[in-house]
Amino acid sequence: MSEEKKFIEALRRKFKEAPEEKFTKFYIYDGWKQSKRKREFVEIAQKIAKERRIPFYNPDLHLGGIPLGQRVLMPYRLSGTDIYCEGDDLHFINNAAMQQMWHDIRRTVIVGLDAAHMVLTKRLGKEVTPETINHYLEVLNHALPGAAVVQEHMVETHPGLVADSYVKVFTGDDELADEIDDRFLIDINKEFPSDHAQQLKAAIGKRLYQVCRMPTIVAMTCDGATMSRWAAMQISMSMINAYKLMAGEAAVAEFAFAAKHAELIEMGTLMPWRRARGPNEPGGIPLGYIADICQASRVKPEDPVWVALEAISMGAVLYDQFWFGSYMSGGVGFTQYATCTYTDNILDDFCYYGADYVKKKYGGFAKVKPNWDIIKDIATEVSIYGLEQYERFPALMETHFGGSQRAAVVAAAAGVSVALATGHSTAGVNAWYLSQLLHKEEMGRLGFYGYDCQDQCGSTNSFSWRSDEGLVFNLRGVNYPNYAMNVGHQSAYTGIISAAHGGRGDAWTTNPLIKVAFADKDLKFDFTHPRLCFGKGALREFMPAGERDLIIPSH
Amino acid sequence: MIDYKPQYYPGSSIIAANRRKYINPNYKLEKLRSISDEDLVRLLGHRAPGEAYKSVHPPLEEMGEPECPIRRLVEPTPGAKAGDRIRYVQFTDSVYFAPLAPYMRAWMGHYRYRGVDIGVLSGRVPLEARERDLEKVAKELIETEVFDPARVGIRGATVHGHALRLDENGMMFDALRRYQLDKTTGEVVYVKDQVGVPLDKPITLGKPMPEDELRKRTSEFRVDGVSFRTDDELIRFIQRIHILRTEAGFDPNKVKGV
Repeated sequence: MSEEKKFIEALRRKFKEAPEEKFTKFYIYDGWKQSKRKREFVEIAQKIAKERRIPFYNPDLHLGGIPLGQRVLMPYRLSGTDIYCEGDDLHFINNAAMQQMWHDIRRTVIVGLDAAHMVLTKRLGKEVTPETINHYLEVLNHALPGAAVVQEHMVETHPGLVADSYVKVFTGDDELADEIDDRFLIDINKEFPSDHAQQLKAAIGKRLYQVCRMPTIVAMTCDGATMSRWAAMQISMSMINAYKLMAGEAAVAEFAFAAKHAELIEMGTLMPWRRARGPNEPGGIPLGYIADICQASRVKPEDPVWVALEAISMGAVLYDQFWFGSYMSGGVGFTQYATCTYTDNILDDFCYYGADYVKKKYGGFAKVKPNWDIIKDIATEVSIYGLEQYERFPALMETHFGGSQRAAVVAAAAGVSVALATGHSTAGVNAWYLSQLLHKEEMGRLGFYGYDCQDQCGSTNSFSWRSDEGLVFNLRGVNYPNYAMNVGHQSAYTGIISAAHGGRGDAWTTNPLIKVAFADKDLKFDFTHPRLCFGKGALREFMPAGERDLIIPSH
Repeated sequence: MIDYKPQYYPGSSIIAANRRKYINPNYKLEKLRSISDEDLVRLLGHRAPGEAYKSVHPPLEEMGEPECPIRRLVEPTPGAKAGDRIRYVQFTDSVYFAPLAPYMRAWMGHYRYRGVDIGVLSGRVPLEARERDLEKVAKELIETEVFDPARVGIRGATVHGHALRLDENGMMFDALRRYQLDKTTGEVVYVKDQVGVPLDKPITLGKPMPEDELRKRTSEFRVDGVSFRTDDELIRFIQRIHILRTEAGFDPNKVKGV
């Protein structure tokens, strides 16, 4: 039996004893010294403490002299890969790939060009042709990273510091796409499987959109709300340059208005005062956008489970590690919490079990309409399966030593499975909540007060669309009231949305423009394989953007 | 007032029956061990044995409370009457057949005790109350069948261990090693109080329950014990609650005949 489980190999690597073994030894591992990474931390911290003459990191201060590591400090396998690392390597501060994933999202805005073209042609009587568009894009690729195009005697950004900043365009119009210089084009036909490309082109139509990537160093030093301003400024200036306009003529205001408002699509909306952040911050990014930003569906559209698992890892890092773990709490953060959904192939095992169950019982994905019998059957079966694995394999229980980890993983599998069966993300999240209720009664425990509270009322709000208490599930996120302190949930919610649409064979989940905007091989982070990328970050093999070597002493 | 007979918990399994039993305040918990008042005070670590209770306000009868119908309805607990400060006891229940699981512990506490504030987490259940009330509650929770020295820990902080494998003696992990198994007597001995401060002399809490005894008394479903799958009544009850909640949230008019 155990050979069939996807998590067994990782469990064997994590612990000396067989995964089925219920007993082990404690207190013999020499505390933090058993960890190579902790030893490195201590060595470097001791050197720094000497230099700065202020006490620094010292794990012997833990619990008044009882350091962590009284049990095995287990390694983690990045699910879907062969990469093993230490837990510390998955804290986003220690992982450059995680940082770059967030920076690549934060520094992106989409700006439609049609309004600007209408102003140019109808109001100013200018001609707009593929040639003028290509010229404009060349100018903007000069300007967007922070260069002058109109003014004299301007200071500019060092190209070596902003090398990752550029603009590209996409359209659903094959004829127009053919005329756009390849260097500027996100070619839907090339980047997507043909049926997905057809769906996307039909949705986008003849409109033309720019995808603006501001420099990572701007994303690191300013905030998400900077991006639309930065883009709008450089777009307006480039319009003046490319179309020989008067700087400051009334029509230029239209370009600025279009770029800042009318034609602007940001990755995230701004948040209310109590969680105040500007646009393009994690708190305002809808779950369905993260499902679309993930590009795994371009690689293996025939395997929506794998696609959902990749999307889940992005949701875990962005929402749980960055947002809840840092923006909303800080310090050590919620890494341990988040990693459970993308390490050791545990959620993978539970989800593929659910997928197989759906295929066998319901004849494939998205073959049945949601109803209570379907939701009850699949959610109950998959939840009990997951709980039984923790009970059959004590090493698995020890791996997910916190109840919230187990609750997230079991409910995620239930939600993904129902979403696959029905092609309906709201049915999927409803199954998540049934799973939480079942889990609480089966184990007599779940997560912690704040975690459980939101799952006790989740059944009630899952199908509610009333404005003060509900929202279409794909558009929810951590800004949705019931999810505002809902750590450990959003990753799976991302996956539930992904699975529903993946099961249906959809090219996107929520917004086709977002989907296409990230089908871009020039991005630093590889959105087609996020888990692999996080693993490379853990191994220190990921090269991010935004480095400052050019302007600091050699080191 | 309608004649209402609480049912406490649904389900047809022995686990559900144990849950009903522990939650039901009319069921007398079986006493399995004794802890002296002095040892209890030392284990809790809030005051020295013999030390007076610290108070946060004068006794209620000296305070001249305002006229209030709720005050007339609710008799204050002894600790509240005296003005005791609020203190805590916290338990960690192993997933390996501990008598209580956290939610059972909370529900049991709310049915059985007055003036308690109980939180539930996967790995610990804090119970707060006025200090003299707390000591009474803690004594019962330690002396009776809902406690096992090997699978239940008394832990104010650093509670990690409920889901970990057991040590070679069948004991639940505790990073602070507040307790140990005395191999000569077979008894579990606390050498630190609940927050990990070393005790001047150890406190013995008796022998761990045999495995078959634990399995008989546990309120935890497990696939290697009583499987949740076998309790169809409980599963159907949970599903029903979920459906009613969902439909009520979508449109309360949809819910009929409840």
